[in-house]
Amino acid sequence: MKYLKLEIMTVSALIALSAAVAMAQRAPSGNYESDKKVKLSGIVTRIDWVNPSAFFTVNVKDATGMISNWAIEIGNPLDLQRDGWKPTALHIGDTVNVEGIPARGPRRQAMATSVVLAKNGSKLFVPSNKPRAKAASQPVPRWPDGHPRLGPAPGKKGYWGTPSSTVLVENTGVAIPMNRDGLLTNITDSDKVAPFQPWAKALYEYRQRTLFKDDPYNRCMPPGGARHFQNPYGFQFIEQPEIGRILLLLGGGDRNWRIIYTDGRPIGHKDELVLTYYGTSVGKWEGDTLVVDTVGFNERFWFTNGGLPHTEALHLTERFTRSDLNTLRYQVTVDDPQAYTRPWTGGWTIQWVPDEEIQEYFCEENAETTFVR
Amino acid sequence: MMRRRAFQLGFLLACVGIVVPGFAQQGHPLTGTWNGDFGPSPTQRTQLTIVMTWDGKEAKGTINPGPDSAAAAVFLDVINWTVRIEADMKDQSGKPAHVVAEGKLEDIGNYHRTISGTWKQGATTGSFKLTRD
Repeated sequence: MKYLKLEIMTVSALIALSAAVAMAQRAPSGNYESDKKVKLSGIVTRIDWVNPSAFFTVNVKDATGMISNWAIEIGNPLDLQRDGWKPTALHIGDTVNVEGIPARGPRRQAMATSVVLAKNGSKLFVPSNKPRAKAASQPVPRWPDGHPRLGPAPGKKGYWGTPSSTVLVENTGVAIPMNRDGLLTNITDSDKVAPFQPWAKALYEYRQRTLFKDDPYNRCMPPGGARHFQNPYGFQFIEQPEIGRILLLLGGGDRNWRIIYTDGRPIGHKDELVLTYYGTSVGKWEGDTLVVDTVGFNERFWFTNGGLPHTEALHLTERFTRSDLNTLRYQVTVDDPQAYTRPWTGGWTIQWVPDEEIQEYFCEENAETTFVR
Repeated sequence: MMRRRAFQLGFLLACVGIVVPGFAQQGHPLTGTWNGDFGPSPTQRTQLTIVMTWDGKEAKGTINPGPDSAAAAVFLDVINWTVRIEADMKDQSGKPAHVVAEGKLEDIGNYHRTISGTWKQGATTGSFKLTRD
């Protein structure tokens, strides 16, 4: 099809947002107009199979013959690969019909909800929706001293991925409707999320109303606090008992790492620490649970999806319990008296991904497309 | 080709340089060092620096830190995102003058957010504008 078909239609926000979530792994709420839809037909001019989202660009001709170049986001390449897609599914010069959600502002960019190859009608980059393979149920692997191994059993490989929840709310048993980014369906539910101080609640609601436009994570800043356990790219524990520490290698957040000291040192005080995105952590075993205290966070990130504020006074107590080979229970207590009226606790479970390694992920990889375009 | 890549890289870094500071401090919106000025007219301005802190219960300010600094009480209305700053300072002749500044906090998600509004010092009324440093 040679002529531009460009229609922007208002559709149900819920339907569009669901589609958006299916195609992308990074917070889409702030970047895309989830209540609008765009239809484009044109010729592919470039394919960028890069993190955090693969793009292709397409030349679209309008009714007057003017050509404009659009960038089409199609999802994370690791997820696309897992779903069986390769960059060779599409070629420069192909004509495609695209439906998607347009970017906010003047950018000619859209997140695809449907990509159809014009020459044969085949649908490209469709998520498989297949659940990840789960390892056969087995007991928790253990160290000679009896502590659970948080990594693979000797001679095996694997990592932790696929969190059961990608949002953090106080564990009160009350269901709070929100999307995977933590965007509330009803802003009046904010009181149920956490025991905010008034300023923190007002800032949380501001971030919600502005659809996370200021989220540092969308600019490739590290997902500190509990947030790195919410991202889909997984993490790995490297336990080094001989030197009294555990390394946490993070699949998302630019392959960052975190150190948990288990040598008995005191946690320290934030005023004596260099404040960082991941803070300073000390851990100890309580039965089969690794309990990790972390202080010394800076204020340059959001510590969870959804835009919950924190201050430098943030103290997290995380409890990691491997209940069987496949399941890690993560519970975190948030103690920040400068942002919340009392400590509060939430958590989720994380699934073991057997026989795989964390894959390479660099957020900045398509910074050119994200920032400059 | 190399020069083109260097230009692209420079342009990218320039863009990132512009963008990244806008995504820095994310805690209490008043915390930090604020610079600006106040005065009765656009041509009569006095340089102003306020360092604001939040301890979990109240916000405090230090106006013009140094030997002539003044402690300020700071009030934030989070419904309207307005700020009131009160302090006992000295005027240009050295006489004590009570200051009441009331302004609007703008663009609170930006590192370089601003507060601007009215500045009353003794009998003199003017305006002020502060930008988070």
